Amino acid sequence: MTNTEQQVSELIKREYEHGFVTDIEADSFEPGLNEDVIRRLSAIKNEPEFMLEWRLKAYRRWLTMEEPNWAHLNYPKIDFNAISYYSAPKRPEDMPQSLDEVDPELLRTYERLGIPLHEHAKLAGVAVDAVFDSVSVVTTFKEPLEKAGVIFCPISEAVQKYPELVQKYLGSVVPMGDNYFAALNSAVFSDGSFVYIPKGVRCPMELSTYFRINAANTGQFERTLIIAEDDSYVSYLEGCTAPMRDENQLHAAVVELVILDNAEIKYSTVQNWYPGDEHGKGGIYNFVTKRAACIGKNSKVSWTQVETGSAITWKYPSSVLRGEGSIGEFYSVALTHNYQQADTGTKMIHLGKNTTSTIISKGISAGRSSNTYRGLVKIGPGAEGARNFTECDSLLIGDQCAAHTFPYIEGSAKTAILEHEATTSKVSDEQMFLCRQRGIDPEQAVSMIVNGFCKSVFQELPMEFAVEAGKLLEVSLEGAVG
Amino acid sequence: MKSVPMLSSAFLAPAGQSLPQPLLELRQQRGTALVDMPLPTRKTENWKYSSRYLQLTDAIAASLPVSDRIDTPLAKVPGYQVVIRNGVMVPSASTLPAVEGVTISRFADLSDEVASSLAERLDNTLDANAVQLARLNTARFEDGLYIRLAPEAVLDQPLFIIYETDASQSGSAYPRLYVEAGHHSQATIVEEFLSTGSEAALVNAVSEFTLADSAQITNVRLSADGESVQHIGATGARLQGHARFESHCVGFGGPLRRHDLQVRLEKPGAECLLNGAVVTQGRQHYDNHTTIEHIAPHCNSEENYRNIAAGQSHAIFRGRIHIHRDAQKSNGHMNNKNLLLSSGAEIDTKPELEIYADDVKCAHGATIGQLDEESLFYLVARGIPRREAQTLLTMAFINELIQQIPVAAVRDASLPRLNQFIDQTFEEA
Repeated sequence: MTNTEQQVSELIKREYEHGFVTDIEADSFEPGLNEDVIRRLSAIKNEPEFMLEWRLKAYRRWLTMEEPNWAHLNYPKIDFNAISYYSAPKRPEDMPQSLDEVDPELLRTYERLGIPLHEHAKLAGVAVDAVFDSVSVVTTFKEPLEKAGVIFCPISEAVQKYPELVQKYLGSVVPMGDNYFAALNSAVFSDGSFVYIPKGVRCPMELSTYFRINAANTGQFERTLIIAEDDSYVSYLEGCTAPMRDENQLHAAVVELVILDNAEIKYSTVQNWYPGDEHGKGGIYNFVTKRAACIGKNSKVSWTQVETGSAITWKYPSSVLRGEGSIGEFYSVALTHNYQQADTGTKMIHLGKNTTSTIISKGISAGRSSNTYRGLVKIGPGAEGARNFTECDSLLIGDQCAAHTFPYIEGSAKTAILEHEATTSKVSDEQMFLCRQRGIDPEQAVSMIVNGFCKSVFQELPMEFAVEAGKLLEVSLEGAVG
Repeated sequence: MKSVPMLSSAFLAPAGQSLPQPLLELRQQRGTALVDMPLPTRKTENWKYSSRYLQLTDAIAASLPVSDRIDTPLAKVPGYQVVIRNGVMVPSASTLPAVEGVTISRFADLSDEVASSLAERLDNTLDANAVQLARLNTARFEDGLYIRLAPEAVLDQPLFIIYETDASQSGSAYPRLYVEAGHHSQATIVEEFLSTGSEAALVNAVSEFTLADSAQITNVRLSADGESVQHIGATGARLQGHARFESHCVGFGGPLRRHDLQVRLEKPGAECLLNGAVVTQGRQHYDNHTTIEHIAPHCNSEENYRNIAAGQSHAIFRGRIHIHRDAQKSNGHMNNKNLLLSSGAEIDTKPELEIYADDVKCAHGATIGQLDEESLFYLVARGIPRREAQTLLTMAFINELIQQIPVAAVRDASLPRLNQFIDQTFEEA
């Protein structure tokens, strides 16, 4: 047993593997937020007038709003004037055109993360729009996508090239005044991805973006907009790691999905940002608004997320099921350790007839962390024949952690059926005994049991993510047993 | 910023003075604390769905008059009976038990000594932040009922407390009950809320129970006030080791029906069973909030609530199980099933778990659905008229909980009333 204890204490002491700072000079703004900052930001990006107007309107709206405090989270008040709102890699005028031109320092960063960009892209057949801090640095696999008619580019580029699409859909799913963090994002969003899948096109490959937060004290305000026209399909992957840092960094992203008749978007996330050290110091604040509008008949959105990082997670990927027969799915694994806090879940808003939704949420809390599922299932009066199934399970590891479930269920259609079930349990002594007896060490046993607990969600992930997710849980749970 | 509505000062006007001094002082103190109390709004989490139904107008602020008269002859109950009219006990209509160790007294008759110890304990079973409006009761009660069960005392028959509100004029009533159960004592207490008259009125009722080691209390609560009466009720219970508290609530809808039930399991081995059945129709509204606090290890809780909403009505259930850090080996089960009988009706449910200990077994389930078409077809195919079949199936849904009420008289009285209510629903549909 002493041997195990020693191992465990070593594991506990192990620092975050992905924590390092890439030494690239960043071209950043002074901290602070006012209308001038937004004008400068917009000017740097050479944005058309409508974009600047939109940002300013969002900013003025934001000033009138109050930071929400209903979440089961505890963190010091964020000083929004202590944050720098723009950071781009140096030399923006000669942005690299191919991988060879990319700063080798940057490529090494990716390698240390275990993602050799070119190899990864080739091997997996994934086009990567890598967001390094705030400006998209390199986009690969553009040609086959262009051939299919798919637009996949940084949103700043889309603003220039496809202003009519951006103007039509930006803010149509998450209005600028939707919530405090969405308003902030609308005012200062730095960059992000834009995807447009034309009518009848099945995107020939999975699209993927890697985020990294790099320069100290720069909030990352991503904005993603995906539009799937009639009868189209796309699978979009998003994964993140971040370097170690002592101050808390703010991340307030907005993701908007627009889904028309018979179209489908599969949106997968692996989030592994720096969660803070074992004393709860540092870590990313992750306040994200993600929403899909299933406008078309028989449209479908599927959210899959594996959340293991961030000191604070505030995230509720939602689906507005407006189209008749539209489908919303939410599969989530949220793991918290040490002093991490997660308040996450989903919203399924049924407005159309015969809409269906499934929610499978698995929360795992270890150490002194707190893990909350907060969800809303709302059936509007017109959503005849709507159907929802919700299952949210929590697993507790250690006696200092907490797990909460706050589901809101609102039904007002006579022919709708809603089901919700939730359980809370711990890794049982019997399970552990069985594994130990067969010579499996406690670390491995817990990892195995947790993986089994999450299996129904992992199955929904694209293959390469599923592998990564399993490993991620293992790494994140290190030191949780003892 | 929009200004928040405040509690009208009319609600804090001085009330009757026929109480022992310590209770008068307590009332005064609570009243002072309520000056400028913000009223719940849509943004107040625990009034999210109900605040718009709350009408605390000046017209209902005044206390309803006290009288010794009983207008309607009450049904004879098989047990002991206390009648509380407009918040004040009517001794002439009450039959009190003469059982050793059982003390039943109105607040007005308490000695200063007992009253002062009671004043210290009133409100202690309720979380003031969660039941803001229960404090209004403590600021306004004109009388109350104090029940003390000595250790090992057993009340041989159920005690029926009939709260009658005379709404022939506008006003409010503040009935209050405090039950102190000594160790190993047992009692069944049935509370029934009724009203006559059709003017706008408010009933703000608070019942508190403290259970010493191994005490057993069964509390049945029938809420059947009239259509003009808003009802805001709170029930609190604190349990010591191996005590058992059973609560059975049966509620009929109204313009506003609100009941907060808070149970604290404070010592190992304590357990509770909370059952509730609610029916609403027309434009009625019913809002049940329950909280179970597992404070000590080895405690059990079980909860079953069912709502049936028809017409344009609105039924709400919010249940919360809170397992504290040291409450290892806790078992908590919460089940909420809802039947939505029309598309204009709305059911909102929020079954919450808040867990700070790892070695626990907690589960909750909630469903919203409608009558099973296949079962209906089965019955109709056998020659049972559709409406009758609907009533039958709906009654079956709720009967499961009614049958668990351990007082036969209550079961027998509730079933026909529920049946009539539900039948009426299908008639309208």
